[in-house]
Amino acid sequence: MTHTAPAHEAHHAPASPPPRGLRRLTAAGWIRAAWMSVLFWALGAGLVCLLRWIAGWHPIWDWEVLAIVAFMVTLPIGFLAGIGAFDYWVYYALGYPTRPEDHSGHGARSWRDYLRVNTDHKVIGVQYLCTVFFFFVIGGLLAMLVRAELAQPGLQVTDAQGYNGLFTVHATLMIFLFVIPAFAGLANYVVPLMLGAPDMAFPRLNALSFWLLPIGGLMFVTAFFVPGGGPSSGWTCYAPLCEHNTFGNAFFNMGVQWAGASSIMTALNFLVTIITMRAPGMTFWRMPLLVWANFTTSLLVVLATPFIAASQFFVMFDRMMGMDFFNIYEGGYVLGYQHIFWFYSHPAVYIMMLPGFGIISEVISVMARKPIFGYRLMALSLLAILVLGFSVWAHHMFVSGMAPYLRVPMMITTLLIAVPTGIKIFSWLATLWEGRIHFTTPMLWALGFVSMFVIGGLSGVYLGAVPIDIHTSDTYFIVAHIHYVLFGGAFFTIMAGVYYWFPKMTGRMYDERLGRLHFWTTFVAFNATFFPMHLIGTQGMPRRVSDYAPEFADWNLFISISSFVLGASILIFFYNIIHSWRYGPLAPGNPWNALTLEWQVSSPPPVFNFDEIPQVVGNPYEYGVPGARHALLNGARQHELEEVPR
Amino acid sequence: MRRGVFWQLLLFTLIAGVISVGMALYPAWLPATASEQADRIGHVFWFTTIICAGIFAVVAAVLVYSLLKFRAPRGDNFETDGKPIHGHTGLEIAWTAVPFALVTAIAIFSAIVLGKNDKVGDNPLRIDVTAQQFAWSFKYPQHQNLAATVLRLPVDRTVRFHFAALDVLHSFWVPEFSQKQDTVPGIDTYLTVTPNKTGKFPIVCTELCGLGHAVMRSTVIVMGQRAWQQWVSRAGQATSGGGASAGKAVFTEQGCASCHTFKPAGATGTVGPDLDKLPEFAQAAGQPLEQFVRESIVDPDAHVEKGFPPNVMPKTYKTLPDEQLDALVGFLTEGAS
Repeated sequence: MTHTAPAHEAHHAPASPPPRGLRRLTAAGWIRAAWMSVLFWALGAGLVCLLRWIAGWHPIWDWEVLAIVAFMVTLPIGFLAGIGAFDYWVYYALGYPTRPEDHSGHGARSWRDYLRVNTDHKVIGVQYLCTVFFFFVIGGLLAMLVRAELAQPGLQVTDAQGYNGLFTVHATLMIFLFVIPAFAGLANYVVPLMLGAPDMAFPRLNALSFWLLPIGGLMFVTAFFVPGGGPSSGWTCYAPLCEHNTFGNAFFNMGVQWAGASSIMTALNFLVTIITMRAPGMTFWRMPLLVWANFTTSLLVVLATPFIAASQFFVMFDRMMGMDFFNIYEGGYVLGYQHIFWFYSHPAVYIMMLPGFGIISEVISVMARKPIFGYRLMALSLLAILVLGFSVWAHHMFVSGMAPYLRVPMMITTLLIAVPTGIKIFSWLATLWEGRIHFTTPMLWALGFVSMFVIGGLSGVYLGAVPIDIHTSDTYFIVAHIHYVLFGGAFFTIMAGVYYWFPKMTGRMYDERLGRLHFWTTFVAFNATFFPMHLIGTQGMPRRVSDYAPEFADWNLFISISSFVLGASILIFFYNIIHSWRYGPLAPGNPWNALTLEWQVSSPPPVFNFDEIPQVVGNPYEYGVPGARHALLNGARQHELEEVPR
Repeated sequence: MRRGVFWQLLLFTLIAGVISVGMALYPAWLPATASEQADRIGHVFWFTTIICAGIFAVVAAVLVYSLLKFRAPRGDNFETDGKPIHGHTGLEIAWTAVPFALVTAIAIFSAIVLGKNDKVGDNPLRIDVTAQQFAWSFKYPQHQNLAATVLRLPVDRTVRFHFAALDVLHSFWVPEFSQKQDTVPGIDTYLTVTPNKTGKFPIVCTELCGLGHAVMRSTVIVMGQRAWQQWVSRAGQATSGGGASAGKAVFTEQGCASCHTFKPAGATGTVGPDLDKLPEFAQAAGQPLEQFVRESIVDPDAHVEKGFPPNVMPKTYKTLPDEQLDALVGFLTEGAS
């Protein structure tokens, strides 16, 4: 079922001819971004110096203040303005003529279109994915350095400051620049297609949210090269340590703001898109579970992310302006930081997990050729996790010194989350039952996810029980748990999603044999790396240490060697993806014979997705039901429309 | 469900169960416990392990069984579908209710253990713990405020720790005691431990506290009740008096050894500069040794040695009583030259 580009597209392509002469300097793009970055940096720096001069503060040229205001606030705004992220809004605000139907920023005709502000959700989805894998590589290399240092007791590779920087930036990049935006990228590509919509509700906002992301990422990376050392207080950046620590921590405080703003904007966009742009007939109970998952995730993002923004601003205000949020000598309250931080960062765990649940539901249903078992309960359990997710944050603080009466209620809500999560696991298993299972690469990742996430979920039950948590808190058991849920969990689902939709996104098939090889090497090396961490943790090895007792030396050497194999396994993925993207066999529109809407158009889809908006008539997973249909497209609908008397 | 399927599934579950029980029993998951609280925490640990091993076995069995039995036939290019089962209300209720009951059981057991573990009893030994970058120090307020950097406890007596943190968060953990508590600037925190085995165990800081976090260690020695009484009375006499021995006592008490190397005190820390080189440092700064040493203690950032970052050494030593400061300066000056 392959469609050619619809006529609609031709009206808007090609974009206006490339500007010449001086217009090249003022047209939106990288040249304007370069000079506007410099200009806005100078404006920020000038403002700081002027105000300090007026106030009589010395030195006038204080580089820490300059770094925060000029480098981390005004320069990125200048860059965004230069690259063209604000053009339409600025024209509108200044009363210049705008073209509401201007689609010149839509679609990609060459690779260059991926490097400019593009409003096409599919282009943005690919932009997201390429960006996140770039930062994934950096974060992964940092992890390799961490393991190199830990291969033996004592300090060999780096010093204490360097080590603290390594694990801090590793975690920060993986969380804020890989897992969260990787899901945003996949959903950006797929959700409008699944809904039968031509694009997201706010395409220009969508473009802006993408361009905010690399700004945050570059801040985290450049923080390493700050004189005095990078961020070194862990990704949790606990006060008061992070306030006294090296200036690199300020880069963390600000990087989180940019990445967070990006996620909030995307989440709002998803919410409006999912609520208002469903195709006719696409009721909430007919939405694919991936859409349900992104709906609940977006609610979490919108409600929770402002809290981490606040916590990081508090820390920065304390550091730069001498405020006293966490300064005990002036009435500050140290635990306040942790409460605010975890009020975001626990829901963030679900922000990093629910979209993955959605991906797994799609893959398992299609590859087992079965309807999702208990579809409504699956959707409801997402909502249950959403609600419970906001009532468990203090389980990160059982040993923190918070009010003791908080512990038992938080333990109960924490353990209760195991119930909706269990429902999802059992329903996936039941979906496999009596199916016709195809062991394709995405399915291997999905099954790998189910098995690994069971282990991560069960170690979560241990941690939910307060007495066990008291023993294992801040040990390698925690490191093992978080990697089972975020690597065996989130990363495996991202891999399932990337392989599953690769034919849709690129129009080419990946190499199935290399895909399987990638899965099996990762699966084995992953378990060899992270499973022993449970053991050394309960036996007494604390986390975040560059040096450790000699009794843990053997296991650590084993873990380090396994982690290098794990790191190497990702090379197979990159070779497969890059090679297949260029030379892979052409993909048909629907290689998996799936029912959801994104597979009913060509691979890759036309610029505006559907020739006309489809009519949804049934559930999305009716495999094996004779004559069942999810939607009527083009021809079918045309036929029906003709029968309607005009 | 056909009967054959049930027996096969049961067999798979048993195999997976045996494997997970083996995994739970073979490696020593928990350190040899040395406190009553650790024993109770161990009970919760094993209770949870039984439940988790059971769930894991069921999931693994169903997963492996499905993967073996329900493979798509070779050459089937996504053309045929499985059986269109949409759900099963009974099953769905079961797998909501059973996990609910299991986690409730874990929660109740945990709450009971938590209550018992926090119980202080009638006559606890109070110990005031001060945590700072990167050292632990202990005081026995019921025993003439006796101070120490190595913690000595009597066996079979409940100890109530009162924690104070001078700079940032730290966390007090003895793996063999299982109990753990963060120390928080500005907030008093507490912990109850009843050691029930004699021996020597590590005290580990588990909350990232800066550059010396990995070496913020100390030792706890659990002694027989009588041996401990003898130690208390003997140690009480040693703190008073002047001269080098008092200076050495201050050096040990203040935890200098955790960051600095200093031969006369047998200290081998490497976070801060080597104090055996104090005369060279003083010469480089162009100051008399004694003045240099004193200034470096009360104002650590006055002279920062090459290769060491500023703002690492606590600025709290300026509050030492003059008598102790003099003794410490004397000990360092004499010992280094």
